[in-house]
Amino acid sequence: MTAANPRPGDAGMVDPGAGAPRGFAALSERHTRIVALLGKRLLQIPFVLLAVSILTFWLIQLVPGDPGRNALGQYATAAQVHAWDVSNGLTGPVAARYLRWLRGFFTGNWGTSFVYDVPSRGLILGHLLNSALLGLYAFVMMVAVSLVLGTVQAYREGRRTDRAITISLMTLSSVPEFVTGVLLLIVFAVWLKSVPIQSGADATGNFAQRIHVMTLPAVVLAVSYLAVITRMVRTGTAGAITAAFHRTAVLKGLPGPAIVRRHVARNALIPTLSLLGIYFGGLLGGSAIVETLFNYPGLGALMVIAAERKDVVLLTDGVMVTGVIALLALLLTDVCLILMDPRIRFENTGS
Amino acid sequence: MDFLSRGRPDTVTALPVPESAVADVAALGTGEGTQAAGTGAPRRRVRALVRRPTFVISVLIVGWWVGAAVTWRLFGLNPYVNTGHLLAAPSWSEPFGTDDLGRSVFARTLAGADTALAVGPLGAVFATILGSALGVIAGYYRGLVDTLLMRLFDVLVVLPPLIFLIVVVGAFGASTPALIVIIGVVFAPGIARIIRAAVLAEMGKKYVTTAKVQGESAFRIMATELVPNVAPTIIIQATLSLAAAILMTATLSFLGLGAQPPSPDWGLAINDNRVFIESAWWTVVFPAAAVASLVVATHLIADNLKEMVWS
Repeated sequence: MTAANPRPGDAGMVDPGAGAPRGFAALSERHTRIVALLGKRLLQIPFVLLAVSILTFWLIQLVPGDPGRNALGQYATAAQVHAWDVSNGLTGPVAARYLRWLRGFFTGNWGTSFVYDVPSRGLILGHLLNSALLGLYAFVMMVAVSLVLGTVQAYREGRRTDRAITISLMTLSSVPEFVTGVLLLIVFAVWLKSVPIQSGADATGNFAQRIHVMTLPAVVLAVSYLAVITRMVRTGTAGAITAAFHRTAVLKGLPGPAIVRRHVARNALIPTLSLLGIYFGGLLGGSAIVETLFNYPGLGALMVIAAERKDVVLLTDGVMVTGVIALLALLLTDVCLILMDPRIRFENTGS
Repeated sequence: MDFLSRGRPDTVTALPVPESAVADVAALGTGEGTQAAGTGAPRRRVRALVRRPTFVISVLIVGWWVGAAVTWRLFGLNPYVNTGHLLAAPSWSEPFGTDDLGRSVFARTLAGADTALAVGPLGAVFATILGSALGVIAGYYRGLVDTLLMRLFDVLVVLPPLIFLIVVVGAFGASTPALIVIIGVVFAPGIARIIRAAVLAEMGKKYVTTAKVQGESAFRIMATELVPNVAPTIIIQATLSLAAAILMTATLSFLGLGAQPPSPDWGLAINDNRVFIESAWWTVVFPAAAVASLVVATHLIADNLKEMVWS
């Protein structure tokens, strides 16, 4: 377009912007592409969910055992078991059952849990809320601690503090969650007697009580993600404070807080943010391990019980809910990344 | 460990090729110094590795558990017999104490290495082979094959791995062969993505073009040219998936979905003895320390390998 860039007043060129795009097209390409990307993601989500639901439904159909017989006990007649199967939608070809289940899932009729004998919708959403509270608590703790540790490491790069933090976090995060949990329980519940051993059973108390009860499980959850996120913060911060723009900002006499806020933090957080989004989804969906260990009534523990007791209705619905949350978290990550970083490129790299 | 940093297979120059291709190959030697690091490099790297204390200690720990898994029967340890003392504290005769059924925690902890290592290594090998094969194929053919595989993986990785495992284990059971296949299938997509990325980087290099110009078959290019060149990545992924596989099997048995009583499995022992945590900490702490040491050591080995390859 360099050739078609006439100065105003040139003879014969009345409209200087004749060849330039107008309307939405006049926006820089990037703005239209954000919308396009988000639109594409939003379109993709139903298809991915559909594929996930088909996969899980088919897998769960393979679960051995006779739910009708289990529910009615060994003295029920074959006819009674069959009637129960029919009323719970367990007869007929898999495809028909899948479609029936799918319609029910969208209309809010999620079926009845075999184990608890209550509608699985209320059960799952209630447990999901518990999981989300725990996950949120862990998430806040994790972000705060990893920001502090990562920044300290970046400013002390290569020194003993840096190495000590890296090594201890690496070790902590590769220890299995249930081992960390058991050790913390021994220290805080058995030795110090500062928290109850069974935490989730009384999650109905007031706010302070709830926080008190949720602290240990949340710490265990946070610790398992801490190392990776701290490492990301460290890398991001180290990159920012060695960059030329940082030196420029220091040399032109900007006050420290402004440098940190405008130059260091913004650049340092970009790589961290994409990870956080993925982990956020995982945390909200509940952790089977931590919830089982602490007897916390969350979605993960519920899924374990459903799998153990072969409750196919509860399992199918629960897995779908987990999938929805994971996908929404990915979408949220994309949006955050776009808002944070004007340099993000939208080339389809297939990742 | 020579293949770790092997530059290009020697076949490229040994075969009769067009002159331009020879020139290309000759140019490669100088242009890509980081790839063709020379023959002295691997040995130097291995020596540097052996000098790292974390690596040596980790290898010793893993070796100890492998030894325990293989030989515990030879030492007359019985993880199932009742010693007559219930929940006895650690003593000289019972160094790790006994559990609620009077079984020796020491014998059970050592025997637990058996079940911990029964699934992990084979599962990791299966995952690595499956993942590498799919990754190399996707990276080599690109286009439709690549897109289809990647979309399939997108679907598989939507669910958190543990939830996926819970569903699959519910469907296929938790026998050792089933677990090996399940772990292979669950970990393969992640490995395939990374190998695919590594292969895509290799595809731009001239030795691939040269091989194509020579008329080598696609399989031959993938198996003898691409795989050796992405071998370091494959080995790191194999070690990482080994650690993850050990962790996953322990987690499954902790959740009550894997090994069943009276198996001396560590995860199962932690879950079973959780209720005695106040009165008999030794029934929980020793299996916990065992599984933690094995997983952390495997992780550290992977980490050291990674640093060695990328330094």
